[in-house]
Amino acid sequence: MKIKVKLYTILKKYSKGKVLEDNTIILHEDTTLQGLSRSLSIPDNIGIIFLVNNSPQGKEFRLSEGEEVKMFSLICGG
Amino acid sequence: MPENIKGYTGKQLRISLNDKSYKTEKIDTQVLKDYLGGVGYAAKILYEELNKGIDPLSPDNKIIFATGPLTSYRVPGGGSIEICFKSPLTKGWGEARCGGNFGPDMKKAGYDFLIIEDKATEPVYLLIDDNRILFKDASHLLRKTVSEKTRMIREELEDNDISIMCIGIAGENLVNIATVMFEGRAAGRCGGGAVMGSKNLVAVAVKGSGKIVAENPDDYNIALKELRNVVKNSEIAKGFREFGTMGDMAGNDAAGDWPTKNWQANNWGKGEELFDYYSKHNFIKNEMCYKGCPIACGRIASVKEGKFKTPAHDGAEYESLSAFTAFVFNKNMDAAIHSSYLCDEYGIDTISAGAVIAFAMECYENGLISKKYIEGLDLSWGNADLLPVLVEKISKREGIGDILADGVLKAAKKIGKKAEKFAIHCKGLEGPAHDSRSGKALAVTYGTANRGMCHIHPLEGMAYDSGKFDFGMIPYGVPDPNTVDRWDEKGKGKIVKILQDGLIMPDVLGVCKFFMYAGVTLEQYARLLSSFTGWNLEGKDLVRIGERTNNLQRLFNTREGFSKKDDSIPDRAKQRPLFGAYQDEDRCIIKNYEGMLKEYYEARGWDTETGIPTKEKLMELELDE
Repeated sequence: MKIKVKLYTILKKYSKGKVLEDNTIILHEDTTLQGLSRSLSIPDNIGIIFLVNNSPQGKEFRLSEGEEVKMFSLICGG
Repeated sequence: MPENIKGYTGKQLRISLNDKSYKTEKIDTQVLKDYLGGVGYAAKILYEELNKGIDPLSPDNKIIFATGPLTSYRVPGGGSIEICFKSPLTKGWGEARCGGNFGPDMKKAGYDFLIIEDKATEPVYLLIDDNRILFKDASHLLRKTVSEKTRMIREELEDNDISIMCIGIAGENLVNIATVMFEGRAAGRCGGGAVMGSKNLVAVAVKGSGKIVAENPDDYNIALKELRNVVKNSEIAKGFREFGTMGDMAGNDAAGDWPTKNWQANNWGKGEELFDYYSKHNFIKNEMCYKGCPIACGRIASVKEGKFKTPAHDGAEYESLSAFTAFVFNKNMDAAIHSSYLCDEYGIDTISAGAVIAFAMECYENGLISKKYIEGLDLSWGNADLLPVLVEKISKREGIGDILADGVLKAAKKIGKKAEKFAIHCKGLEGPAHDSRSGKALAVTYGTANRGMCHIHPLEGMAYDSGKFDFGMIPYGVPDPNTVDRWDEKGKGKIVKILQDGLIMPDVLGVCKFFMYAGVTLEQYARLLSSFTGWNLEGKDLVRIGERTNNLQRLFNTREGFSKKDDSIPDRAKQRPLFGAYQDEDRCIIKNYEGMLKEYYEARGWDTETGIPTKEKLMELELDE
């Protein structure tokens, strides 16, 4: 399935070579957000906030064709 | 013969402003071993030397400029100074940290601590040049902005490089949210600027030629190299360098960690748009706050044209710009940049300023503010034009600014009716731009932080829950954050206790906290400190000193009448957001804050009914004298 994905700040580098120019990525059906994260080779120990179609979702959330995912990692400055 | 202390200057400078005298005092080595420096040593001095119940704006208060043993240009993050005092805003423990050259230069001048007492009969500034101490007339500096004061003092002293910390107009006017500034950097929270103003002390200028010698130079260089390598290879350090603290605006909004419209919600959905605008139109370049910082997270920003035109300045920070956007429901980033800049020039805390303006807007919306106070101003949510006007009025105590100048708690009491409901604070300190509905550890840290609802000490709670940072604290009992849900409540009280005792260390050692975010651990600091001082310290020793410091600051507050009731957090910081992406998310609601607090007290060894440290705990920490 085709998913639109946008990575922010320190996560941007993980899109290189994996996310297409139109900000899409091809994934297997029923891939979870954690699965998306792993397919982008993002280390498991980075805390990520996911928005799916602008709604916050946990890492177990299963994606569907055409959904838009935004991924944020907090640098955690004050 | 007194022991020659390695790693420290071993001296403190005590200034008496009333008779313009000073003395250099040798510091007891054992006290340094017990408290190390920074906010630890300052807590010891203020607890012993201030009497209970003093007026924070009277000559009875003292203000301490404290370095730590690692404050140094050579140490990554070592450009740091802590300013400690009894807070006029909270009437309790007050501290504020500032990055910059002042701390390292104070040590080069030969002093670990500067203790300022009494009140000058007329405005003065202090020049510290090694052992030459001068009290200089400062009457011509009054009513000047921070950058003007800094420039005028440097011209007068014919030294463009001398480190200067000064107050702005707000400090002169005893505004309770006034800062002490180092150029564009602020020791912002708790009203230290008002304490300086109350003493007629306008600025302190410092330079020096000394050098601190390490006990074991070879080991010290190895330990330093280890720290530098951690920073060099840290993704977080790269993130700070590339994006600054502003890099979190979109992510925190998404995480429900962005208090919006005076905490009515924890998310706005505008963070990404505002960050993009700032990146394209305002951001110029990054900047080191002190000479040689390997992270350089500072941001130079400007507004090039229009009614909010603002010169390039160091100050575009996440907290400041959130306070003038999300807090007040303002979508105009140019207005936020301009207002934050004015805060720095007038010397008021950007966080408290944005918070007190948001409070005023909600009072206005609810018809609580009399028209006679607002002089025709439109205090509607999101009114960008109003923001710089109110910053100036607060700084000069004009009109409604005079009511808002002392923070939300006192303003709510003056306004009366149901205004207190809209005052978002803990212990009297206004809440920053992180929301406890994004992760429950943050709720406990807000309630129990000794200076109140600050943006630094509780940050580790948020970073642990949402950012999954462990800060190297797993060996001390903190569970792996990847095994903990951010919305869990059980266990958070104990986690916060351990995080607080470890993460207070940068403020004790005199370094920037961001380096622990970048991956530097307490073990690494202990190795560096051991090679510097010759003491044999391990990470666990630092945790114990951190615990002692947290308890001593707690005792300071207890003596001033603080108790369990003051560890509460505002209802809004616990309740369902009124709008936004988390409005229907039940898990973000804090269901049992009392339970988390009880767990925290138990972990601390404090009386669970009163929140006061028990005798047994004080004996264990050798605080029972």
